[in-house]
Amino acid sequence: MRRHKLRSWKAAAVLTLAVAGVSVWAATSLAASGARPVRVAIMTDCKGAFAFGYEYDIGGAQGAFAQFAGGKTKSHAKPSAGMTGIRAGNTPVQIVGYGCGNDTVPLAVTETKRLMEKLNADVEIGPLSGDEAVFTANYAKAHPTKTFIIGTAGSQDPTMQIHPRNMFRYYGDGAQWNAGIGEIAYKKLGWRKAAIIMDDYSFGWTSAAGMIADFCAVGGDIVKRVFPPLNTTDYAPFVRQLPNPNQVDGYFSTVGGTGTSAMLKAFEQAYGKLDPKQWIGNLFFGFLGADKVVAPKLVGAYVGGFGNMPGVHTPAADAYRSFMSKLYPKLPNDDSFVYNYYVGAKALVIGLQKSKGAVGVKLQAALPRALKSPFQISNGGIVKLDSRRQAIQDQYQLQLVKNADGSVSPTVVAYIPNVDQSFGGLFTPSSPPPGRAQPPCKKLATPWQGKIQVVTDGKVTNQVIK
Amino acid sequence: MSPSTWTRQQQVERTIAALALVVVIVWPTFGSAYWAHQILIETFLFGIAASSLIFLSAYGGMISLAQTALFGITGIILGNLATKGGPGGTSKGLHLGWDPTLALVFAIVATTIIGLIGGAVASRSTGIYFLMITLTYSVIATYTLGQVTKISGFSGIGGINRYTPGWIGDILAHPNRLYYIALGTAIVVYALIRFVVRTPFGISLQGVRDEPVRMSSLGYAVPLHRTLAFGLAAFIAALAGVLYAWWAGQVAPGDVDLPQTISLLIMAVIGGLVRIEGAWVGAFAFILMQNYITSNTHVPLLGFGGTLFGGSFNTIIGIIFLVIVVVSPDGLMGLWGRIFEPRRRSTEGPSIAAPAAEPTK
Repeated sequence: MRRHKLRSWKAAAVLTLAVAGVSVWAATSLAASGARPVRVAIMTDCKGAFAFGYEYDIGGAQGAFAQFAGGKTKSHAKPSAGMTGIRAGNTPVQIVGYGCGNDTVPLAVTETKRLMEKLNADVEIGPLSGDEAVFTANYAKAHPTKTFIIGTAGSQDPTMQIHPRNMFRYYGDGAQWNAGIGEIAYKKLGWRKAAIIMDDYSFGWTSAAGMIADFCAVGGDIVKRVFPPLNTTDYAPFVRQLPNPNQVDGYFSTVGGTGTSAMLKAFEQAYGKLDPKQWIGNLFFGFLGADKVVAPKLVGAYVGGFGNMPGVHTPAADAYRSFMSKLYPKLPNDDSFVYNYYVGAKALVIGLQKSKGAVGVKLQAALPRALKSPFQISNGGIVKLDSRRQAIQDQYQLQLVKNADGSVSPTVVAYIPNVDQSFGGLFTPSSPPPGRAQPPCKKLATPWQGKIQVVTDGKVTNQVIK
Repeated sequence: MSPSTWTRQQQVERTIAALALVVVIVWPTFGSAYWAHQILIETFLFGIAASSLIFLSAYGGMISLAQTALFGITGIILGNLATKGGPGGTSKGLHLGWDPTLALVFAIVATTIIGLIGGAVASRSTGIYFLMITLTYSVIATYTLGQVTKISGFSGIGGINRYTPGWIGDILAHPNRLYYIALGTAIVVYALIRFVVRTPFGISLQGVRDEPVRMSSLGYAVPLHRTLAFGLAAFIAALAGVLYAWWAGQVAPGDVDLPQTISLLIMAVIGGLVRIEGAWVGAFAFILMQNYITSNTHVPLLGFGGTLFGGSFNTIIGIIFLVIVVVSPDGLMGLWGRIFEPRRRSTEGPSIAAPAAEPTK
């Protein structure tokens, strides 16, 4: 009987502990939902191919909060240490959490729900990666009172096909970044037939879509498309699917993150030394450490843009660089992983000032449709949003050059003002989103065709690419 | 069997079950919305998926790694059939725009048929070979969804939760509906498994588990029993797949890849592979850890890398998994059962020193 009682007590103790535990968790969650300042979450990646973006993205967003809303960083070396004292006008702003994705959808689901539902954020700045943004767009549609400002994800779908009313993007998508690079390949390198190797996910497809659309628009032909999955480590089977170097004039690449270097290495092993005149990459040829690993092998190669303008100096761009380099000296501030989060956060501060701290639909109405952006030259430096709240942004095409100190970096060689998302009507809300076979290769008239301006020594000239 | 004839363990367990049921029924009214719509819905739906795995293991002697794949296949079928394309629609998949009820029924039936076919192929294997075959199913599903971009691609299909049947209504505007649907489905699945294992089929399935050669000699069709059990487990996994697609709104190959497959197995093992209840207990424990062990979790003395094991969920879940396997191979349910074990020995004698949890009970 004694033992019987002992067991009962044990069971009761376990039950009590369980109930107490649940109550504590619940109380914590409930406490988090009381009256409060505007709650902002920054969603980025800290795992996977783009893990390096974690500090860059947080630093970019917090840079704008520091510059325009009085935020005080806790660490100049590590942005994720946090920021306090942010006030947009009279409204206090609290950064409630940093999302840690890995560029895949399942973790984006968990992290977005954690930020928006557990931490009860009113606004999300992010995410970083293409598929994550596609999920977030669908999530945004289901949560109209929450506001989403895309971080640096470049997939087209969120603001073209899905375009929820509460989602904003203050920079170009991955296709916009590559506007003009196909024409450069056709005119400057004489390419007529090319192959493309693209990461098999939303951003890889969108980035490739810009290259394909631009190259085919002027009469080029894409003879082969190869799709390695994101996070591939052995690219040999994929580069073997590409035509031999003597069968095409060149190769476009939108393989990114940790894959760029591995893919090029596999190509070298299969076909020999890389010829810079036979390769055009997207932003992953020139940024995010690629300048040290990939670029030295490809000096002279053209590179698609990133919505930024390395080597070009304007008062606004230099002021941005100066401020950011003092705030976070270790961040690559010319890099759009930093810059895109910066412009998103800047827009949020302006929106909150206008809405007087109101969130939800009022904030969405107050968010600026025209934003003064450091890397914009046309319109007096103002980026405008289209009807789907997607930026119409200046684009700068790049080339890898050797500097006096022997380092290699991308520099701007061409300029196209006000590139919109449609590529002359090729991409529309009812067209299929970029994919393995989308867009098809066809000749068309893009708004910038024959008008791409040459940039020399950081100065935009009146000459056009011929 | 009236309460007066219940054993002490049954009395305690049924009291806890009744209390837990009351708590989860009233939770959306009084409790945290985050807990309702994140922790508990996930617990219900992953518990359902884990229960299909435990059913096969406890009553069929088959440890299947295909349940996650079947779960994801249902979501992808549902997404392709129910969603619509065009401006403002979903951007990936076939978006055929079927009636959501028809799509729902088709997705569940199709997954069950796929399960029956897969079960038939694997039915003559046991042990490690069965495990390997079902692992193969999981890998096939992951790569098929990833490579066939017309139906999914690595991005998967989104916006599925905007296309729910009219009789369910808008679960986005009324998330408590999904909560109660998930809760109701979990209860029905639990009752279904409890019922099935008491039927002649269930009893003979347990015979197949324990003595397949003898059962075969007695004239029972062993492969057919295993195939039907696998089909039933596929049906249960399909129900979880539908709930997941509605809850997450998006289904992608990442939902059925190897880490997710292992996660479901871990839920089942943490809960205990011998009792159906363990599915929800394991899912609850796993999801709690998944949601609360983050890069911001600070625990004194365990601050490796500044936070608890550097905030590494995988490291912590791995350690917990290891401890459970060493201390209680029957998981948390086994641990729970041990509280009552000595009493049973003392009152019923050593001859009934049965395992902590008896699947047939």
